[in-house]
Amino acid sequence: MLHLLKIDLKKMTSYRTFWVICGLYFITLGFSTASGMEILKWIASKFEDFGSSLNVNRIPLYHFPDIWQNLIWFSGLFKLVLSIMVVISITNEYQYRTLRQNIIDGMSRFEFVLSKVLTNLLLSVMSVGMLLLIVMVTGLIYTPELIWSDILVGTEFLLAYFIEIFAFLSYALMLGVFVQRSGLTIVLLMLSHMIEAIIKVNLFRESLNPSIGWLKQFFPLESITNLVPLPFARYAFQEIQDYVSITAVAIALGWTFLFNYFSYLKLKKADI
Amino acid sequence: METVLSIQKLTKNFGKLCAVNQLDLEVKRGQVFGMLGPNGSGKTTTLGMLMGVTNPSSGSFSWFGEPSTHLTRKKIGAVLEHPIFYPYLSGQKNLELNAMIKGANPANIVKVLDIVELSARKDDKYRTYSLGMKQRLAIASALVSDPIILILDEPTNGLDPMGIAEIREIVKRIAADGKTIILASHLLDEVQKVCTHFAVLRRGKLMHSGPVDEVGKGEETVEVMAYHDDLPVLLQEFIGSATIKKENGIFQVMMKDGFHSQDLNKFLFEKGIITSHLITKKKTLEKQFLEILAEAH
Ligand SMILES: Nc1ncnc2c1ncn2[C@@H]1O[C@H](COP(=O)(O)OP(=O)(O)O)[C@@H](O)[C@H]1O
Ligand SMILES: [Mg+2]
Repeated sequence: MLHLLKIDLKKMTSYRTFWVICGLYFITLGFSTASGMEILKWIASKFEDFGSSLNVNRIPLYHFPDIWQNLIWFSGLFKLVLSIMVVISITNEYQYRTLRQNIIDGMSRFEFVLSKVLTNLLLSVMSVGMLLLIVMVTGLIYTPELIWSDILVGTEFLLAYFIEIFAFLSYALMLGVFVQRSGLTIVLLMLSHMIEAIIKVNLFRESLNPSIGWLKQFFPLESITNLVPLPFARYAFQEIQDYVSITAVAIALGWTFLFNYFSYLKLKKADI
Repeated sequence: METVLSIQKLTKNFGKLCAVNQLDLEVKRGQVFGMLGPNGSGKTTTLGMLMGVTNPSSGSFSWFGEPSTHLTRKKIGAVLEHPIFYPYLSGQKNLELNAMIKGANPANIVKVLDIVELSARKDDKYRTYSLGMKQRLAIASALVSDPIILILDEPTNGLDPMGIAEIREIVKRIAADGKTIILASHLLDEVQKVCTHFAVLRRGKLMHSGPVDEVGKGEETVEVMAYHDDLPVLLQEFIGSATIKKENGIFQVMMKDGFHSQDLNKFLFEKGIITSHLITKKKTLEKQFLEILAEAH
């Protein structure tokens, strides 16, 4: 297993595009999540210049336990950047035909897919690690009265975040295996949410068949989105789901398995 | 001698096109085995099936007497059709990757770079290499696991005469090391120069298979006619005659090794016979192959 991961990383670590995209991802992820409070403070100072006042501590964006869901939901937006790296990594193998040579050299088709999946796992773990670090540091700085039990309350979102990233990268990998051309795959990847939304709208017109609305949560991209619900409405005094739903986790894990299994099936049958 | 590769009724259809048709072959240890055939005759498709990248439509093959798996492939060094490498990696890094996949000792890399004379350029990116260097790197990658068998598919394609000579030299050196080599080519000349055994393919079908020295040595046939009753007797008498047949009133004399039409002509002339018809026919096998190879594609 480790050997396969090393092989895939070896392909990447001398590849400039890999460092550019991963650098872009982790730097923007880090800066944008960590700097939210400073931006709020800056806005507040501007308000003061105009004579009105805004107490930033009244909005507990960065306070434990709120901070978990807030930052993790926001970070989820960046996964598209990371998934582009995954697409490039797999479509390169088709474009340069190196997939063919890898098999000739003695990799099995299963091992090839596994090596890509393992890299996806590593990227997901690194994203989680990054988030954990940022949440702990900023949370400890900005939470006014620290209650230790509050810190642990939101950690379930870390697990949900891990599944969210890994599921989406698995989806990107599968798309790459089926489409094989980088440009087209990236376009499809970016349009995926829209395409799924259009299908859902047409399938579930409330007037038509209101009884099957519950099926929506089973759609692949929706299932990934459902892992970490949008938190910010709570600051407008609305009810939000502030926990990770087990059903959502189960559905997303199911899709994750299927994405990777489809990648393998496609590769297993193909002449390459 | 130990059989390394045995192919039974191997077939590949691409839609209606039958690229490889019921192919049977055996390759034994130590042979330099040429697969000869014009472009499109199914050489690459056959090798692709042997190396697990093309799924056979029917038939089977075994390496070392066992059904093939990815583990078998690690023991074989193969380059099919074109060299394939990561263009953004250096030659050295590409070979390191090949060695990792094959489970080969990375210490071999220095050695194989030396064999193909690429040591000086090993740290340059693959995409900056000339075609000849790419072909040589491909041979290096095939050698990196010190394989028992080496498969080369048109290794001199597209090279200038010097590049061709270099590659052939390398192949001969490797063969002298006792490795089994399978070499696909559309050039009779190349197969004759490098191989010990060969098979001829045409539109996916096996036309011939045997040792290479048969081809070069193949006896000359001379068609001869003279208005003289003693001709058949004298033809028998000639020490260069192997067999004599009469077809449509013309004698076909198959010559023994080292005898040619001019020897026969001189002999008959000295016996007082002047031929009215004398044609040297090319060595039959070679002629047949050249026809197959010249086939329009
Ligand atoms: N992937 C493919 N799809 C359809 N036809 C193919 C494919 N690969 C090869 N062929 C056809 O199969 C025949 C044999 O090709 P190939 O094995 O490459 O011949 P060779 O290597 O002897 O030149 C050719 O007619 C070629 O066009
Ligand atoms: Mg070919």
